[in-house]
Amino acid sequence: MGLLYPAFLLAAVAIAIPIALHLLRRDVAPDVPFTAVRLLKRSPVDRSRRRRLRDLLLLAARVAALLLLALAFARPFVPGSGSAMMPLRVVAVDRSFSMGAPGQFERARALARAAVDEATFGERVAVVAFDDRAEVLAPPGSRQDARQAIDRLAVGHGGTRYAAALSKAAELATGGPVRLVLVTDLQRAGWEGESRVRLPSSIDVEIRDTGIAAANAAIVAARLTDGALVASIRNAAAAPRQGQIVLTHDGAEAARASYSLEPGASADVPLAWKASAGSIVLTIDDPDGFPADNARHLVVGPALTPEVLVVTSAEAPGFYLQRALHAAADSGEEALAARLVTPAEIAGGRAAAIQRHRAVVLLTTRSLDRTAREALTAFVTGGGGLMIAAAPDVEPDVIATMFGWSGSALSADGEPRRASLAATDIRHPIFRPFGALATNLGNVRFTRAWRVAPDGWHVAARFDDGAPALLERTHGEGRIVLFASDLDRRWNDFPLHPAFVPFVVEAVRHVAARAAEPDLFVVGRVPPGVGAEPGVHRLESGRLVAVNVDPRESSTAVLTAEEFAAMIEQVEASPLSRAAEAEQIESRQSLWQYGLLLMLAVLVVESFVGRGN
Amino acid sequence: MTTPAVRDLRFLDPGVIARLGTMELKARTVVEGFLSGLHRSPYKGFSVEFAEYRQYLPGDDLNTLDWKVYARTDRHYVKKFEEETNLECHLLLDQSASMAYRGAAPMSKLEYGSVLAASLAFLMNRQRDATGLITFDEQIRFRLPAAARPGHVHAILLALERIQAGLRSDVARPLHQLAEALLKRSLVVVISDLLDDPDPVIKGLRHLKFRGTDVVVFQLLDPNELTFPFKGAAKFTDIETSEEVLADPARSRTEYLRELARLTLRYDRELRGAGIDYVQIDTSQPLDFALLTYLSARSRRK
Repeated sequence: MGLLYPAFLLAAVAIAIPIALHLLRRDVAPDVPFTAVRLLKRSPVDRSRRRRLRDLLLLAARVAALLLLALAFARPFVPGSGSAMMPLRVVAVDRSFSMGAPGQFERARALARAAVDEATFGERVAVVAFDDRAEVLAPPGSRQDARQAIDRLAVGHGGTRYAAALSKAAELATGGPVRLVLVTDLQRAGWEGESRVRLPSSIDVEIRDTGIAAANAAIVAARLTDGALVASIRNAAAAPRQGQIVLTHDGAEAARASYSLEPGASADVPLAWKASAGSIVLTIDDPDGFPADNARHLVVGPALTPEVLVVTSAEAPGFYLQRALHAAADSGEEALAARLVTPAEIAGGRAAAIQRHRAVVLLTTRSLDRTAREALTAFVTGGGGLMIAAAPDVEPDVIATMFGWSGSALSADGEPRRASLAATDIRHPIFRPFGALATNLGNVRFTRAWRVAPDGWHVAARFDDGAPALLERTHGEGRIVLFASDLDRRWNDFPLHPAFVPFVVEAVRHVAARAAEPDLFVVGRVPPGVGAEPGVHRLESGRLVAVNVDPRESSTAVLTAEEFAAMIEQVEASPLSRAAEAEQIESRQSLWQYGLLLMLAVLVVESFVGRGN
Repeated sequence: MTTPAVRDLRFLDPGVIARLGTMELKARTVVEGFLSGLHRSPYKGFSVEFAEYRQYLPGDDLNTLDWKVYARTDRHYVKKFEEETNLECHLLLDQSASMAYRGAAPMSKLEYGSVLAASLAFLMNRQRDATGLITFDEQIRFRLPAAARPGHVHAILLALERIQAGLRSDVARPLHQLAEALLKRSLVVVISDLLDDPDPVIKGLRHLKFRGTDVVVFQLLDPNELTFPFKGAAKFTDIETSEEVLADPARSRTEYLRELARLTLRYDRELRGAGIDYVQIDTSQPLDFALLTYLSARSRRK
C-alpha cells in the first residue's frame, strides 16, 4: 500500500491523547463532596468487568477513529498489488468503415478471437474497438467476457485513428506489463496528420494485419455548379473501372451518368440536373470495396436571387448607390444588381418578397408599413443582411423599435457640423480591399450624421470627432451595417469621391454575404444532436445537414508493420509520471472515502458505547 | 375551615425563606405564616393562666366566651389567658462541617437548622418561654443561657445569623455537658444531621431524658442524602473526615439507602423507646412540620 501524502500520518501521534486519557483517567472519578460517606463505605464498590470492557471498546474506537482520519488525509492507495500488476492483454479491433469490405470484418473477428485465446493463465483481457475514437467493449477481465465483446463487434462509419487505440491502451494500463494486439487493415490514412505517439515502455504493441480490399471506388466529393452537379469519384484499384452514378433527389432518381476511371485515378463526373432544394444522395455500385463510401449525401438550400433590395423614396432615390453597384457589375465582379423599390411596393402582402433578396439597403423608413417592418426584422433575424444609411428620411425611432434597441441609442444631429471619416478597423471586410487607400476616406466632408451609442456595435470607422461612422452588429442570424450619414449627397459629398464606389460595393457585398453555415459534416465531427450515421439529418433548428464518411478512409494505401512501429515512441515512466500515476491510481481508488466512512461508523459506535451507562 | 394540610405554605417554603434578608425576618415570616395557618386549629391557646377579659369581637372562639359575665352584664367578653412562662427551652444546633452540606435543597442543612432554631426561638419568645441557644460541633462553640426577656430573642437571632460551619461533629459530648448543667426540667431541641456514630448520640440523648428533660430531635437531611441520586462513578469525599470512597451509585444506591433506613430505624426505635421525639426532616420541605412537632411536644408538657 502506498501513501500519496505520508506526512499526514504524523497526525496519527494524536492517538496518544485518548490512550493517555485512558491511562490517566482509568480510575479517576469526579470528586463529589458528601456527608454520609460512612454509610457508603460499606457499599460494595468496584468496577465491573463490563465497564472495563466498555472502556477498552471506547479507547479502541477513539484510537481507530484518529488513525483512520490520519490515514484518510495521507490518501492511501494500492499501487501494483493484486490485479493492477497482473499482465494485461488489450485486443484493439479496427472498426473503421474500411473494414467493411466483404469478408474483411469476419477475418478481423477471427484474429481478435485468436488473440484472446492466446492469453496465458492469469492474464487479464480487455477488448477495445476503435475508429476515430476508441471504446472499451470489455474492461480488463476474463477471456469469456472478451469473447462475448468480440461477438458484439460491428463495422462503424468512422475513419481510422491509431492514436485513439494506443492512448486507450495506455489508459487501461495500471502498471503491469501490457500486450496490445491491434487487429487492423493497417490503412495508411490512420496516421495521417498525426505526430509520433509516446507510449509507456511497459506496453508491447503487436499488429495482426487483416489485409485490405484490393479495389475500392468512392464518391469523395460533390458540388453544385450552374445547371449541374459534379461528383468526384476516386478509383483506388489496380484495374480501370466503369460504372454508373445515380442521383436521387428526395428519394426519387433524378439523374444518372456513366463514369470511367483509370487505375488509381479520380475524376469529376457531371450530372445534368436542375438544382432544386432538398436532400440529395449520389450512389455508385462497388461490390468489392468499402460499402460506406459508395454513397454521398448533399443538402441543397432554397435558391436566392442575386439582387439587393434598396428601399428608396423621392427624397432618397438611391441613385448613387445604384450607379455604384452597376459600375461594379460592369467591371466583371460578382453581380449584385440593385432593385429599387418604394415603401409602397413592399407594403402589405408584397412584404414576403423581401425574403428572396440577398440583402436590403434601407434609405428611407417613411411610409414603411408595419407588415414591411416586421418582414424586414424577420429577414434579418433569419440570416439576411441589412444596410441602413442614416439619410434624413430614416427615422432613428423606427429603426430602434424594429430591432428592440433602446430609443436613446440612436439620434440625428441637430446642428450641422464639419467632420471627415477615418477607418478605425482597416481589417474590417469593408475596408480590407482599400488597403492603404483607406486614408482617402478622410477627404470626404460630412455636414450631418447620426449619433450612435456604440454599445453592442462593432465600430469599423469613426468621424474625426470620435463619433462612430460605420457600425456593424448581428441580430438573430443576420447582420446589420449602419452608416451614420446618407448615401444621397445630402449630408455629405461622399458620392463625389472615388472611394464611394468601392465603399458601397464592399459594404453591400458584406451584408449580402450570409453567414455561411456548414451543412456538410464528416462522421465523427457532427454537431450536437446529430447521429454519427451517414445521411441527411435535421438539426433542432430545423436546418438540414448532410453527414458523410471521411473520404480519407476510402484510400486503400497501407503501411508496413515497420512504418507503423516507427510512429510509436516508447518512453520510460519517469519519477514524475510515477507520482502522477500514483495520484491517478489514488484518485481512481479513492480509498480515503472509505476511510472516512469507516471513521464515521466507528464514531457512531463510540457514541453508542459511550452513552450506555 | 382551613386545615394545615391545605393552607398556604408559601411563606414556609425553604426556597422562599432562603431569599429573605435577616434571620429575624426569616423567623418572623415562618412563625407568622405558621400561626396564620394554625388559625382555628386544634392548637388553640398555649396557656392556662387567666390574664384578662376582652370584649368579644366577631371571629373570636366562642369557647372562650365567659357566659357568667354575659349573664351578669349582658355583654360578651372573652377570657384571655396568660401564657405559661416557666418553661425553659434549649435549642441545640449542630454547626459541624457536615451541616454546611447543600445538595438539592435551596438551603444548606445549617441554614435550614438556623431558620428552624430562629423560628422556634421566636415562637417560644412569643409564648414567654425562656429560650436558650447552644451551638456545637465537637464541643460547645456558643452558648446563650435561657431567658424569657423580650430582647433575648434578638440575641439568639443575631447569634444564629453569624453562625459558621465548624469542624467535625460530636453530638454526644455537648449533650452530656448540657445534661449535667441543666438544673431545671426543661425542653431541649436538638437540631443536627446525626450522621455520627449513633451509639454515643443515643446515649447522650438518653442521659438528657434521664435528667427529666423533654427532648425533641430534628434530624436534618438533604434530599441528596435521602435519595442518593448521583449518576456515574465518583469519588465521594467526606466533608468532615476527608474520607474518600470510590463508588458507582448505580450499584451502591440500594446498599446506601438500606444503611440509611437502618440508621433511621435505629434512632426511631431507640429514641421513641426512651420517650424522645425523633423527627427526620428533608431540608427541601417546608418548616411547618418541624414546628408542629415542637408544638405537640410542648403541649404534652401541659
